[in-house]
Amino acid sequence: MDNSMCQVYEDEIQSLEEEIKLLTEQYEDIQQESTFYSEEEILMAIKSFQSDFQGESKGHESLPDLKAQLESLEADLSFLMKFTSIQFTSHSKKTVERTRNRTVQKHRLSGNCYSLSFQLEFQLLEMQDKEKVSTVITDLSVVMESGEDVNVSKFVSRTEERGDLLAFFRSLSSYAEWFEHRRRTFLHFK
Amino acid sequence: GVFTYLEMLEAQAHEAGRKQEEKKQQEEKLARLKKRVKELRTQKDKLQAKVDLQQKGQTGREGTVSDTTDASAGAVLEWKIRRVKGMLQVFCLTGISGKLTKQGVCFSISTAYEGTYLDSYYLDLLTRPEVRIHHHSVPIFIPLEQIAKRYLQTDIRRFLSVLSDHLNAYAGRKYQADQLQEHFSDQLEGTLQRNSLYNLLVFNYKVPREGKTFPFSARLIYRDLCCSLPTEAMVSCTVKVPESLEETAAAHSELFRHVALHKAFCSFNSAEEKVA
Repeated sequence: MDNSMCQVYEDEIQSLEEEIKLLTEQYEDIQQESTFYSEEEILMAIKSFQSDFQGESKGHESLPDLKAQLESLEADLSFLMKFTSIQFTSHSKKTVERTRNRTVQKHRLSGNCYSLSFQLEFQLLEMQDKEKVSTVITDLSVVMESGEDVNVSKFVSRTEERGDLLAFFRSLSSYAEWFEHRRRTFLHFK
Repeated sequence: GVFTYLEMLEAQAHEAGRKQEEKKQQEEKLARLKKRVKELRTQKDKLQAKVDLQQKGQTGREGTVSDTTDASAGAVLEWKIRRVKGMLQVFCLTGISGKLTKQGVCFSISTAYEGTYLDSYYLDLLTRPEVRIHHHSVPIFIPLEQIAKRYLQTDIRRFLSVLSDHLNAYAGRKYQADQLQEHFSDQLEGTLQRNSLYNLLVFNYKVPREGKTFPFSARLIYRDLCCSLPTEAMVSCTVKVPESLEETAAAHSELFRHVALHKAFCSFNSAEEKVA
C-alpha cells in the first residue's frame, strides 16, 4: 500500500518538474521576445562594473564572463556576415507553441546580399523524437525587390512553395554575386 | 533448553526492531515526497500566474516593450547574448555557419531537403600559414580532397559552396530513399539496394493493374554528384507483360528522372487510383 503511494507521488513529482520546466521556458521566451534594449543600454551594460550581480535565480554567470561571451558571439556573427556577404538588418521571432516535444516559432527576417535586399517570414518547427531533433520550415514567404528579373520571381515562388529556405540562401548568394559583378562592370564602362 | 529459548527471543526482538525501523523509514520517505509535491505545486502555480500575467500584458502588436528601467547590467547582457545566438541560428538555416577559433575558423555546413533540415557537417580550418583542413566530419565518399585541392587555397567561399552542393545533393538522395522506404514499404519488394553515396539505387516494386500486381524493377544512376535527381533511370518489368505495361515502365522511367523518388511514387499511385 505504501509503495504504491510512493509511486503515485514520484510520478506526480516528475510530471510537475516537466511542467515547471515548460512554464519556465515559456516565461523566458515571452520575456526575451517582448523586451528590447537599445544599443546605448547595451553599451552601458558592457561598461558597467556591477560587482554583485544578483540574478533572479542561481546559476547566473559573472559580468566579465557575460561580456566575454557576448564579444565572442558578436565576433562570430560579424565574421559570418562579412564572409557570406549576407547582412541581416532585422530579426524578430515569436514562440507560438511550446510543448514538451514541439516548438513552433514565427520568424521575421530582413537583410541584403550585396545590393539585393530581401524580407522573409517563416515558421520554424522543432520536434523532439527520442534523441533526434528535427527542424522543418513551413509557411515561407519571400519578398525580393528584383521584379525586373523573371527568373528571380519564378525561383522565389518555387522556393516558397517548397519551404526551401536553404535553397533560397544558396541561390541568393550566387545570384547576388553575379548581379554585383555585372553592376560593377556596367559602372566601369560608364 | 533455556539458551535456545533466549536466542529465539533475541532474534524475535531483533526482527521486530528491524521491521519497526523499516516502517519508520517508509513513513519518513512518504512524508518527504508529499512535502516535495506540495512545494512543486506551489512553484508551478506561481509560474503559471507569472506566465498568465505576461500574456495579458501583451497586446496584439508585436514588439511591445516591457518595463526595462530596473534591468541589471547582467540581464541586459543576457538578453543581448540570446539575440546574437538567435542570429547565429539563422545563419545555420542559410546553409553556412561558423565559429572563429584560435587557429582559424570552424565552419558548419547544413543540409536540407525542401524545408526539412537534415544532417550538418563541420569543417575545422586552420588559416596560418595557409588554409588547411584540420578536422572535419564529411563522409569519406564525398570527394573532399579533390574539391579542397581545386578551391581551398584560392577561393574559400567557392570551396564551401561546391562542398555544400555535394553534401546537399547526397543528403537529398538519401532523404528520398528513406522516404520511399518509410512511406511505400508495402509497394517495395525486398530491400532497396544502394551504395554509400546513394547515387546508385536498385529496387523492385509492385505495380497494380486491373486487380493484379506486376513486378517492376528499377535501377537509378545519379552521375551528377551535385544533383539529387538521377541521370539514368532504367525501369523494366521482370516478367513478360502486355504492351500497356511496357508503356507504364517507360513513363515511370521518365518520372523518376524529373521528380523526386517519393513524390514519383505518390504520383503514380494516385494516377492509378484515378484510372481504377
